[in-house]
Formats: sequence, C-alpha cells, structure tokens
Amino acid sequence: MTKIGVYVCHCGINIAGVVDVQKVAEYAKTLPDVVVSKHYMYMCSEPGQRMIQEDIRNKELDRVVIATCSPRMHEETFRRAVAEAGLNPYLTEIVNLREQVSWAHTHEPEKATEKAKALVRMGIARSRLLEPLEKHRVSVEKSILVVGGGIAGIQTSLDLANAGFPVYLVEKTPSIGGRMAQLDKTFPTLDCSACILTPKMVDVVKHPNITTLTNAEVTDVKGFVGNYEVTILKKPRYVDEKKCVGCGICAQVCPVKVPDEFNENLTQKRAISIYSTHAVPNVAIINSNYCLRLKHGKGVCGKCQEACEAKAVEFEERPETIHAKVGGIVLAVGSEVFNASQMGELGYGRFKNVISNIEFERISDASGPTGGKILSPKNGETPKTIAFIQCVGSRDKRFHEYCCRVGCMVTLKQAILAREKIRENVKIYICYIDMRAFGKGYDEFYTRARDMDIDFVAGLPSEIHESSDGSLYFDVYDKGTNKLLQIRADLVVLGTGLVPNKDLADISALIHASRSADGFLLEAHPKLRPLETAAAGIFLAGACQGPKDIPDTVAQASGAAAKALDLLSRGEIELEPLKATVEEDLCSGCKICASICPFLAIEMTTDVIDGKERTKAGVIEAMCQGCGLCGSACPTGAIKIQQYTSTQVITQVDAAFAERCVKGGK
Amino acid sequence: MGLCDLMSMAKPNIEVRDKILARIGGKELANCFQCGKCTSGCTALKLLELKPHEIIKLVNLGFVDELPSSDIIWTCVTCLKCVQRCPQKASPYHVIIALRNLAVEREAKVPESYMKAVSQILETGQIDTYQKIVTRNMETVDRERLKLPKICQPKESFQIVFMKTMEEKTV
Repeated sequence: MTKIGVYVCHCGINIAGVVDVQKVAEYAKTLPDVVVSKHYMYMCSEPGQRMIQEDIRNKELDRVVIATCSPRMHEETFRRAVAEAGLNPYLTEIVNLREQVSWAHTHEPEKATEKAKALVRMGIARSRLLEPLEKHRVSVEKSILVVGGGIAGIQTSLDLANAGFPVYLVEKTPSIGGRMAQLDKTFPTLDCSACILTPKMVDVVKHPNITTLTNAEVTDVKGFVGNYEVTILKKPRYVDEKKCVGCGICAQVCPVKVPDEFNENLTQKRAISIYSTHAVPNVAIINSNYCLRLKHGKGVCGKCQEACEAKAVEFEERPETIHAKVGGIVLAVGSEVFNASQMGELGYGRFKNVISNIEFERISDASGPTGGKILSPKNGETPKTIAFIQCVGSRDKRFHEYCCRVGCMVTLKQAILAREKIRENVKIYICYIDMRAFGKGYDEFYTRARDMDIDFVAGLPSEIHESSDGSLYFDVYDKGTNKLLQIRADLVVLGTGLVPNKDLADISALIHASRSADGFLLEAHPKLRPLETAAAGIFLAGACQGPKDIPDTVAQASGAAAKALDLLSRGEIELEPLKATVEEDLCSGCKICASICPFLAIEMTTDVIDGKERTKAGVIEAMCQGCGLCGSACPTGAIKIQQYTSTQVITQVDAAFAERCVKGGK
Repeated sequence: MGLCDLMSMAKPNIEVRDKILARIGGKELANCFQCGKCTSGCTALKLLELKPHEIIKLVNLGFVDELPSSDIIWTCVTCLKCVQRCPQKASPYHVIIALRNLAVEREAKVPESYMKAVSQILETGQIDTYQKIVTRNMETVDRERLKLPKICQPKESFQIVFMKTMEEKTV
C-alpha cells in the first residue's frame, strides 16, 4: 500500500499570493493513497525540510510530492532531505506551482488554484509509479582544458595550475594575451595594460602545470563530465618554437608585406614576423597566405631561412593533432569589437579619420603604429579636435540591443589619455546618451575627466560628413542646452561595443552549449550559477558570457577556476541515474536510436544466437545524459528513460483530465 | 494629482495619446531614450518649433491636445532619416503621420500647400509639376529632348482609388 505525503509551499507570497494553497492541500487529502497533506510558508527552509523528514519517519511515507517552485531550483534540495530521512531520493516528485502557475496566471487566482490542483493530482498519479534509483559513480580526470588565452583564460589557467592541476591552454592566435594585450592603459587607475598583463603571460608559459598551445584550435569534444576527450589542432607556425629566439632578423629580410592584425590593420608587417612586441611565446610565425615560399614552393625566396641563425624556420612543418583527456572545460573565448562599417551614417570605413575605440588604443599604445603619439591616420598630424561618439552598435535595436558595459569608461579613459598626451592643444568632445560609470572607482574617474576640460554633449549625431579640407563635421542636438550644435573635428573616435565572438557558433555546436538572445554563451542560471553552462563540467569565464571589463573578467575567471576545482578535487562524482535503458527482447536492432543520440551513447552489438545474428542496441551509461531522444524515437518501445517512462508520463496525462480519481467523486 | 505642465497648466490626455499609439501600432515609442539622434539629423529642423525628440516625449507623457492643431506637424518633409537611424526603432516620423491623420479627422486646418499637393496629384498623378532642367552648359533640357516618353494624365480609375485610399487612411 503506497503512502503519499503532499507538501504545498507558499514560497512567501510568490505562490500563496495567487494560489489558495490551503485549498490545494485540502484537495490533495481527498486523493487516494495520500496519508498526509500540508502547506507551509517556505518548504525549502530548514523547518520545512524537517517537517517532511519527520513525516517520512513517523508516517512511513514511501512517496513524497512537493508542490513548490521549478525543479531546476530545489529538486536537489528536496531529494537530499528525503534521502536523509531514509527514503530513496528518486521517490520524490516536484510539482511546479510557481513558474507554471502563480507567476504565469497572476491575475486569475481562482483558475490558478484549479490548475494547481490539477498539477498536484498529476504529480500524485505519477509518484505512485516512481521507482527507486541509485546514483552512478564515475571517476574524474584531474586535468582541465581552457579555451582562449586572453586575460580570462590566463587567470583561470594560473589559478588551476597553482592549485596543482594540469592545464591545457588553447589559444587561436600566435600569442596569448587577447584583447587586453592590445590596450594602452586600463580604467579607472590608468595602469599600463601591458605592464600588468605581460608578467602573467610569462607566468603561464613558464608554469610546469600549464601546456600552452598557441595558434591552435579545439576541433572535437567527446565524453561527459569528468571524462572529456578533446582533440586540439595545432596549426603550423613554420618556425620551430623551441629553436626560435625571437630576434626578429627574419622579419627584416622578408620582402612580403601583410596587414598587421594586432595593430588593427593600421600598419603592415612582414609575412614572417613576431605577433606583437610582447608576444608570448616570443616566437616568429609565417603567414602562409602571403609567404612566397609557401605559396609557390621550393626554390622561391626562402630568405628568412637563410638569415635565421638559430635554424628555426621549417617550411615543411605540418599541422599537428593533439588528443587530451580532461575532467572539465573552461570556455574563455572572449568577444569581438563591433564593426562600425555596418552603420553607414557614421562613415567608418569611408572616412579615414573616423576610427573605432580599439584602433585608438593601438594609436595611443607605445608599442603601436605611432609609438604612442596620438596622430590622425589620414595625414599623420596631431589632431586639434577629437570627438568621441558613444553607443556605436550597442543599445541599438538595429544591431545589438544590450549595453556594451565598457564603452563609457573606455571613452573617458581615451579622452583623458588624449588630454594628457596632447595637453591643452586639443579640444575634446564626448557625445553620449547617458554616462554609465557603475564600477568601483568609475564615477570618480568620470569626475576626473570632467575636470580635464572635456566637453560633454548629451546627444548623438545623426550622421558624419567630411568637408573638402578633410576635416569631419556633424550636427548634434544637446539635451542639456536644448540647442543644435555643430562639431568640426580632425579625429572622430567611435565608442564601438563588444559583440559575440564569431567562433561561438562553432564552439556551441561542439559542446552543445546554448547561447542567449544577445548571442553570448548562456550561463546555467543568471544569478546563482553564472560560471557554469547547462552541461556539467563546462564553465564560463570572461566576455564570452557577456560584455565585461577587465576587473569583472578576472573575477569571473577566478570564479570559474574555483568551480572547476570543486570538480577536479574530487576523485569521483555522482551522476544522475536518469538514463536510457534498453529492453533487449523488444529491440529490433533498427539503429534509429544510435543515429539520433547527440551524445554518442548508444552502442550496437551483434550476437549469434542459435546460428542467427542478432543486432541490439545498448546504452553506454556514462555517456548517456538522459535527454530522452532515443526513447521517443524507438519504434518498438524498447528504450525506457528512467524516471520518465511512458507509463509514468501517460498516467500523468490521464490524471490531468480525470476528476474520477477523487475519492467519492463521480 | 498626476502630471501637469506648469507653463500652460495642461494635463496629459491619455485617451488621445492611446489613440495615437494605436495608430502607429507597436509600443516602440516608449523605448525612446532621448538620445537626440533624430533631432541631430532632422532635415526640417530649422523650421520646427518643436524638435522631433520633444514630440516623442510629449506624446509619451500624454501632452497631445495641442499637437494635431499645431503647424509643426506639417513641417516634416518625411525624409525618413530618423526612421532609418533611430537606435530604438521609436522614430518620430510615424507619430507625426499619425498626428496629421488625427488633424484631418478633427477637421483641423491643413496647410494650403498640402491641399494643393493633393489636388495636384488628383489632376496630374504627380506631387509636383514637372520642370525643365538647366545643364552645366546653361542649356535648358526638357523631357522631349532627353527622349523620355510624354507624361499622360491619370485615368479616372486612379482618381477613384486615390480618394478611396485617402478616406480609408484618415478614418
């Protein structure tokens, strides 16, 4: 005889404000097998949990139905409580009265209460058919993969390596350092970006626990939490990393000029060159799209090979595939800067002196194309007037609806840098919508900028024009003075925002990671699990999760490292037993399940029975995530998903439409 | 209680505002964050007593009683720059057109030039009379010299359809 306990939670007023919880609890009492039905203010609280546990012990309950918030919120909490009281935790059924009832039907309390009753009735019907399950234990590989070598990847790698775990750090470009390496100074302290970053970059490559793989990409990810098998493609540099001393003589003899990506294509470098002045590893690389030798074969050019004293140039180098087993993966692939040429009215791409803020960083940086002097790209002269225009590509429904979270502070910093470098010989204007200076020390930084004779115009220009003398001008309406102003400037800097990395499409396909509406990677919970993805063992760090400044990125990177440590420091982890199982007698060996399983968890085996071959499907338990695709596709009904069997679900559906299970009902 | 314009003692007229909002469909107007981009680029700005972003703000707050009878709604040259560039898809153009329709509905005074334009369209099928062009060499060129086809008068069916559409749009 089943003994069911029903517990209805008020969730403060979240549920009780709409649903008549007392009525729901009383209704549950009238249903068969229900021996106790209670309602309480906060079921998830300690006294709430104790109430359930005491009932399990005293009333010998063998099923527990809890009508509360979403199972994503507290299913784990209640299962633990139930297990502590000696009942198998999988005999708990959660009924969602908050997200699916009270929050969805705020204005219809009576109907909401009826729906709550129906859901409870369904939950009770299903709970009778629940079966006790045991958790599955798997070992954890004690190493980790970090994808992306920007400041987020660097911080995560160092934290994990210092804790004693082997780290594979994979970076797509020839040097680690990422966006931060391109910046001149950092707000709000005006620390030199390279000065605080390069020591960390060197720490990474020197760390005995970190394997740094630059010019490399992750091409395949298989497996599951604790046991990921990753494939990394290391593209050829055509220079031996161990032999090259980074002297740069090769670049002096190379005859081919190529655009310099690190300098945002403002200058050119040679087809063989070192990625940047503070590249780590400080090793040359050949751009195979431009190199004469690599394009035309033996006998052509080869000057770098002749000039290299260390004999490091190797035209025969081939791509290398590296396989690694890791326990978890940290994604730190960062973001990109909005390409303002999409916004035709501002003339970016048409007018040479309209530049993006990342180009300004390179111009202002001592290692950049102008040696740190702020000069106009068009004529190489010091600008007399600089205008900054905010929210380019951000807060704009035509492009990206979100706030880029860094643009205001970047512009304030760049305006201050321009004032410090060109002194009183430059007029500076900032056209903005509102100035968002929200971080620690940020508003003080804003005040500092206002004290530096920088003019703030509260309004955005509609379009930028170039006059015949090459200067730029635009009309802008200023909300503060209620006047239409015209600004004429030598240099216009666009406050371009951060946008999702275009590699995210490949990455999210590789690891089944979801993306939010803004295109960035989606965290498991926006408040309570911001560092994890929905896939167990895959963590997020930095701007791939959403636009971030350096302090936030570093904080999140250390947080992701801590989350990864929580996983790596265990020898074993418990996996949910919600897996698919195959009833062999029913299996016809059609292989449909194997063809659709996204986790490659179905294995087909062929046995010879009585001289006849028989092919059957089997589930690799550790790989199965319990998604249920195979179960719904199986034509013979041979595949069952534990905890979600067809009988359980159909019984639940029957209960939805049946008042007849009410005691004494018609 | 509520909002009041201290200069004119005007109060918001939510009913009329909602009427205007219903005409333009969607709720985008509320998204306007007063960046001023529409005003910065307005072709007709020098003629306007009220700036485009101010019109949006007035409508959003409900100060709409004066707007349909005001001359300013007729100054917009419908160049659609604001529609193209508004970062919040809340451009004043649609509001101005809605206000014009409201004005016609209320039988408010429509500027003479507009009525002229309407009769011009009815008679010739064009918004303006066609003109001769003077080239750089000070030669006067007309359609005939450019071997362009002659412009014919619109058919009667056009006039019927035009009048019908006008009526539908203003109701």
